[in-house]
Amino acid sequence: MTEGTSTLASVVQELSRKYAEPEWLKEMRESAWNSYVNTPVVRLEKSDLSKRSWEIENLPLDVQSTASDAVDALVQSIVESGAPVLYVRDGQVVRTEVPASLSQRGVIVTDMHTAVAQHGELVKAHLGSVVRTDESKWAALNAALWQGGAFVYVPKNTAVDVAVHFVHEDTGAGAGIAPRILVVADENSSLSFVEVHVASSEKASGVVTSHVAEVVAKANARVTFVSSNQFRKGPTHFATSRALVHQDASVDWVFTDVGDGYTVGLLESELQGSGSRSTIRALGMGYGRQHLDLTASMLHEGRYSTSDIVMHGVLRGRANSIYRSSTHIFKNAVGAGSEQHDRMLMLDSTARADAIPMLLIDENDVQRCGHAASVGRIDENQIYYLMSRGIPKPEATKMVVWGYLQPTVDAIPSAGVREFVSNLIDGELA
Amino acid sequence: MASPHLKIDGLKVSIEDKQIVRGLDLEVKGGEIHAIMGPNGTGKSTLASALMGHPAYDVTGGTVTLDGQDLLEMSVDERARAGLFLAMQYPAEVPGVSNANFIRTALNARLGEGNEVPVIKFHRQLQEKMKSLNIDPVFAERYLNEGFSGGEKKRNEILQMSMLNPRIVILDEIDSGLDIDALKIVAKAVNDLRSPEVGFLIITHYQRLLEYIVPDYVHVMMQGRIVRSGGRELAEKLEAQGYDWLKQELGIEDETVGAEA
Ligand SMILES: Nc1ncnc2c1ncn2[C@@H]1O[C@H](COP(=O)(O)OP(=O)(O)OP(=O)(O)O)[C@@H](O)[C@H]1O
Ligand SMILES: [Mg+2]
Repeated sequence: MTEGTSTLASVVQELSRKYAEPEWLKEMRESAWNSYVNTPVVRLEKSDLSKRSWEIENLPLDVQSTASDAVDALVQSIVESGAPVLYVRDGQVVRTEVPASLSQRGVIVTDMHTAVAQHGELVKAHLGSVVRTDESKWAALNAALWQGGAFVYVPKNTAVDVAVHFVHEDTGAGAGIAPRILVVADENSSLSFVEVHVASSEKASGVVTSHVAEVVAKANARVTFVSSNQFRKGPTHFATSRALVHQDASVDWVFTDVGDGYTVGLLESELQGSGSRSTIRALGMGYGRQHLDLTASMLHEGRYSTSDIVMHGVLRGRANSIYRSSTHIFKNAVGAGSEQHDRMLMLDSTARADAIPMLLIDENDVQRCGHAASVGRIDENQIYYLMSRGIPKPEATKMVVWGYLQPTVDAIPSAGVREFVSNLIDGELA
Repeated sequence: MASPHLKIDGLKVSIEDKQIVRGLDLEVKGGEIHAIMGPNGTGKSTLASALMGHPAYDVTGGTVTLDGQDLLEMSVDERARAGLFLAMQYPAEVPGVSNANFIRTALNARLGEGNEVPVIKFHRQLQEKMKSLNIDPVFAERYLNEGFSGGEKKRNEILQMSMLNPRIVILDEIDSGLDIDALKIVAKAVNDLRSPEVGFLIITHYQRLLEYIVPDYVHVMMQGRIVRSGGRELAEKLEAQGYDWLKQELGIEDETVGAEA
């Protein structure tokens, strides 16, 4: 941090003032800011962050520029489907549509600032409990500077049957975008949450963005969490999503990124409760000079906890990406079991992918822990077969690639977002 | 469309610098059924793959024309759209692509932009053909050949043949892995398609198939060439007596392509 540091420290204060935040939150931001400043830049195994700039000037404090047509259409389609949606542009809340029927049942869907003001105790009890403010430099950055963001609370025994949407648009008007999501599903509840992060124009380079999502799934709760992203070139993107999964609860992640950005991402489930389960389905479509360093991680602490990781990467151009799937079965997680399947396809000879499976088992009494990883090119025989029926090569290629990606896209419980993601993928396969 | 005419002249095909097909001549016209028989490893599938344009096979000599057009100049998909259809000995599996979607895309690629078959009409047609081939309707939505049994794959090849209106059909061991009922069903599909507008090249090891699909010509391949041609009685003789008499007549000791003639 250079001269910007002191001004940014004042931005932290300004944020607290702007949103009239309570003392506990102000302190949380300030302490996070300190750990951000004091945490040294780390060198990840495959991503040398010391070469990346950490500038975070121009934090947007007002709504800037207008929405892109694609985002407009997306938000409109969600609203028309009757699903709740929160629309945030550059950290500023621009639209909140929540059906009254949800609020009447005690379901809370709101931006984080409103949540702090109206449901302070609930937020205080959980914010920073799953992604700690000082666990990484970028988690600290987010904890210090988050704006906009979404808060969802589902009361006990309540099933929310329409997906809650959070559309986060980054127009590039400001740097230091740091959305924060907090989802709390109380006992025996169910929820689908769909986050869409849209980059609607070119980004300035040399800045840093940090996304954090925290999910708490209490006993027997079922949460599907979708994060569909477009991490574009320019900034260094960090995305940290973690769920705390209690007894017999389940969390199903769906992650997509169609982009050319420099991104370090983590999706993690802490399977704390016995009988807890989690799945991660991740899809990456990289182009340009994409550098996606994505880790899908399962921490098995609970007895009989189970998990499944499926990652599909498609790389074009000079994309160079790393997909790690990691399973850690801790001592006493008797009967735990996990599966990992990673498959990377490189469409161009200049693209490069690494699939790194990791399996750490501290307990002897476990179920099957399987992993399969492959990196390769499209199978020429498949293309030949499709072409032999009259399908031209570009279309045949597209079909084979879609064959890999379709099941993940289909797992998104929102027609509008499925279409949005499909269009992005099609755009890169054209 | 006019009656098709496939003409192969002195075809030579190599794979990984090893010559497999070594100067092969053959003509197939609309309305004709040609059978190719021959021991294992004599280049039958190589011939079929080279005609279709598989990228692993290099044509090192000879010419092939379809209706006077240079087939070897065409890409694989162009050959298909010109009317060539190959039911493969080992069709690929394509996860994530449904059978119905695949066949519809293939059909539309042939019909060309603006002439696409209406979706409802397509599905009706598909279900009809599947029924006549005794294929469970769920196979329409299953992923292309993924997890299909050997026999199911073969029937799926025939389903595609029936849907795609081909002009020259090559069947590479369509009978292997089929039980006797499935064999009859497949033979019926082939016979239904039989017309002056379609020519067939049927690669098989067994006379059994040729009882149901009666060929006009039977050719025997050894060492990458056609070494003997005749009528259906040739197939019967091979079935009864094997290949030894023919090898003796021709002075061939090792019939595979590895051996020098
Ligand atoms: N992809 C390949 N790579 C290496 N060798 C090959 C390949 N394809 C065919 N060959 C070789 O070419 C020769 C002819 O094979 P081909 O498959 O054409 O025989 P075939 O007559 O169809 O035999 P079969 O009756 O067993 O199907 C064999 O020796 C085979 O091993
Ligand atoms: Mg063969």
